[in-house]
Amino acid sequence: MAIKVPGKRYGKRLRKSKVFGGGPPGGKGANNVDLNMTPLVDMFVIMVLFLIANFSATGEIINQSQDIELPEAKHVEGLQLTTVIRVSMTDIYVETDPIAKVSDVLGEEYLNIPALEEKLRTVKADYEKLHASTGKEFTGDINIQAHKDLSFNVMKRIMYSAAVAGYGNINFAVNGTPPEEGVAAATP
Amino acid sequence: MASMDVGPQKGSKKPLDVNINVIPIIDLMAVIISFLLLTAVWTQVGRLQVAQAGGAGEPSEEAVKTTPVTLRLTEKEASLSVGAVAPEVFPLSRNPDSKLLDLTGLTGRLREVKTQLPEQDTITIQTEDTVRYEDLVHVIDASRGAGLKSVSVQATAG
Repeated sequence: MAIKVPGKRYGKRLRKSKVFGGGPPGGKGANNVDLNMTPLVDMFVIMVLFLIANFSATGEIINQSQDIELPEAKHVEGLQLTTVIRVSMTDIYVETDPIAKVSDVLGEEYLNIPALEEKLRTVKADYEKLHASTGKEFTGDINIQAHKDLSFNVMKRIMYSAAVAGYGNINFAVNGTPPEEGVAAATP
Repeated sequence: MASMDVGPQKGSKKPLDVNINVIPIIDLMAVIISFLLLTAVWTQVGRLQVAQAGGAGEPSEEAVKTTPVTLRLTEKEASLSVGAVAPEVFPLSRNPDSKLLDLTGLTGRLREVKTQLPEQDTITIQTEDTVRYEDLVHVIDASRGAGLKSVSVQATAG
């Protein structure tokens, strides 16, 4: 039997324990470092619970851009995937295609924006060609994603051009905020 | 570090420590979190459906004959007319903190209109050119909150 330095010694069973089996206090340092996984698991659980609460099956329907700040509203409906007219303080786009400058539009005498109307008619014709075999009818839905500081002068021209091109169901894209307590919540 | 307990050896006593293997749960959490981060939607964007009253476009269904409710909106005030009754004028002030219009009086009156005319669902908002889009959206939102879900927007002459 080996000769040991006199001092506190642990029994055979306790020597196998990680808590007590590290040797007497002041003994040799262990080469292995144990990582405590408990805080990591706790953090992961909280993140998963938060992300599940925020999960949306519909996903992002509109890509928000930095140059367009949407107005807020409480009594909103769910956004649908359809053609989007994006209007910043300076430019008008259909999806990602630039159409016209806001300053040029305001200087026009007529309500109509010819470039916008032509583009929307093209989109409508493409839709009808694509869905000719399926029998799916063109619904005339369109989303307008406009900066909140625009004047109604610009908006009325865009709405008029969309209506002339056959898009009668106009939807304003807005940031939904929770309604006041006691008021019915937004419908999907 | 988590480790596996191989169980008691023959002739030895049961060990005191119980080791739980947390590696699989960490792997599962990492995969779930990656998936949820990729599919997360951080902003709730909704829509306010409006119709264009009196404008060009394809003819819509015949509207149910209801009392015409018209709201004329300018930068300073809103005039609400219900049927043939003389319009009521609501001066519009702006909240200094949020910069939004204070529509308390107008919203209350719209709720009264809805209470008096339960079948009334439509309102036409005649808007001046200088009105901000955000203010128009705020008024549309207030109309929908008062129960007038079918909102038409029209430009004023001049």
